[in-house]
Amino acid sequence: MSTKVTINRLATGVPGLDEVLGGGLPEFSFNLIAGPPGCGKTTLAHQMMFALATPERPALFFTVLGEPPLKMLRYQQQFDFFDSDAINQSIRYINLADDTLAGDLDEVLRRIVSEVEAHAPSLVFVDSFRSVVLASQTQHNPNNNLPQFVQQLGMLMTTWQATTFLIGEYFTETDTNPIFTVADGLIWLRQSVERNSMVRKMEIMKMRGQPTLPGLHTFRIASSGIRVFAPAPLNPDETPRSLPMQRLKMGVPRLDEMLGGGLPRGYSLLVAGPSGSGKSILAATFLAEGARNGEAGVIAVFEQRPNHSQNATLADLIRSGQVSLVDSRAPDLSIDEIVQLLLSEISRLNATRVVIDSLSGFELALAPTFRADFRESLSRMVTALTRAGVSVLMTSELEDRYTDLRFSPYGTAFLTDAIIVQRYIEVRSRLLRIMAVVKVRASAHCDELRQYHINDDGLQIGEMLADQEGLLGGRPTTQRTGDHND
Amino acid sequence: MVSNPGGAWGRRYWLIKPSDECQRVYAGYQFIGYQPFMSTLSEESRQIVASLAHRVGPSADIAGIAEAITSILQDMDAALTPIIGQQGCVALLRRSLHLSASAHARLAGMHDRVQATPDRSGLKAVLLEQTEADALFFGEVLLTTFYTLLTTLIGPSLTARLLRDVWEPSLSDTPSQENSP
Repeated sequence: MSTKVTINRLATGVPGLDEVLGGGLPEFSFNLIAGPPGCGKTTLAHQMMFALATPERPALFFTVLGEPPLKMLRYQQQFDFFDSDAINQSIRYINLADDTLAGDLDEVLRRIVSEVEAHAPSLVFVDSFRSVVLASQTQHNPNNNLPQFVQQLGMLMTTWQATTFLIGEYFTETDTNPIFTVADGLIWLRQSVERNSMVRKMEIMKMRGQPTLPGLHTFRIASSGIRVFAPAPLNPDETPRSLPMQRLKMGVPRLDEMLGGGLPRGYSLLVAGPSGSGKSILAATFLAEGARNGEAGVIAVFEQRPNHSQNATLADLIRSGQVSLVDSRAPDLSIDEIVQLLLSEISRLNATRVVIDSLSGFELALAPTFRADFRESLSRMVTALTRAGVSVLMTSELEDRYTDLRFSPYGTAFLTDAIIVQRYIEVRSRLLRIMAVVKVRASAHCDELRQYHINDDGLQIGEMLADQEGLLGGRPTTQRTGDHND
Repeated sequence: MVSNPGGAWGRRYWLIKPSDECQRVYAGYQFIGYQPFMSTLSEESRQIVASLAHRVGPSADIAGIAEAITSILQDMDAALTPIIGQQGCVALLRRSLHLSASAHARLAGMHDRVQATPDRSGLKAVLLEQTEADALFFGEVLLTTFYTLLTTLIGPSLTARLLRDVWEPSLSDTPSQENSP
């Protein structure tokens, strides 16, 4: 039997936060929730408090200076987690404004200790701690006793077996505040503003004794409270692709043959082409073919005016529930939020086919702050989805450029396992469409540029334009017979 | 502050006809079962009025009435001060006094005198100068206004939750379970 101490980890009740914390909140830890005004500190504290407090494990919420308690109670009630029945049962509010106004930290500490002794709470919150700091500075006390106060508070709370949260506004992370040293956990909340867009971000700057997920994690505050979008866990036991390779039918006659027998299961496929080339139709056909074989699908639409309603097949699939539509109109999306939405729909439907239509719209839907990292974000999304075992079809708007051969405006072609490219060409004063399979990782595939057209039944792939050359330049010329070395 | 006699605050009290009030008071504090008056009040206000009547007792003089009103205020204070602070409670009382006087012209004089020392002792001193009927009416209006004010700020369920203990001990005939929100 191990004689080492076991640290219990508390489930915070905030979706996504336990993952970011690296497995919940360590019991008896002494934590600081920091961030500028309006970033959600008090809401985060309340949500955790209502989730964790029970009559056996009660919570004390000390209000100091700052937000008047009446207002706090008024606004916090707007959240679903607020339960009036818990007040004065498992949750007790205690106002320390008068003690703090006097500026005597010893008195504040004495009050906190006496209340903690009286109620034996398992959870203690002090909101806002900044006002304690300020009060200590305004008094005529040459020896600012804040470090001592924090030290004593930290020690007392731990010995009283209380998990403690100090809530404070700190505008600079480089403050040499003694609390940064004493605290076991530092949860930093931020609002990242870029132009008209605002994204809430959370960072666990410190959490003793556990592997937190590093970096900034986006979160939203809705009526249900805070929801943190933790990055999708990378499943280390990725199921190896089964051999022989299983292949999915695309639903477009002759396209499977071009792909070397269909799209290998678990692959990501990029369909790149100019506007009107039939990318969305191809994507809808892909989902319809899955549904025909009993495979559920998920489609994420990021167009300003989703055209799914224009595609009758897709609309029917969505209506019948065989395909789930992720049409997040929420502004300022983050990649993790989208991935979570997709993954939850995938697991709900046990879906195997996913369509992202289109990457261009997706980029626009992302908050500006994430656009600089678009390639990286995309890579994470593709990885998360393919690790979930689904096959992903992404469409990408491709500006027609005849001077260079590009498959994606983002330089993201390398991220995907397979690529289909579509182009317009001019032949005898007509705009014709051609398509080719550029890449299918670890598989043989057709190398022909095939003409295709679109009718009511979808894409109809025809033959090569064998008598034309220079197709990719957009203005092919008729080839003189016997002039090529094929 | 802006007086609001025709708004949501005042309306409830305008519904109480002066003749009903006088009749009720002169009937010798038999108002627990007095339907015409009671039916115009919310369940919570009824409880407050009933609680006040209970504390006043069957044959109280002005001292008893003043004591009952201030003791209820004191209990409300005791329930709220730990949570919203002393200053929060004082602010609520002042606002309640103001709203009561705005809604009832006959309370304006009392309100002006309480304004000088807007706390419980000041209030008690002013109450002692009134007739029993006026003091009781003032108490009912003030307490229900205080309660309603708190309700608009933090909602009915939390208000009921926080002030539950103020009414409960005095209403031995009401099982405590029935007061749960």
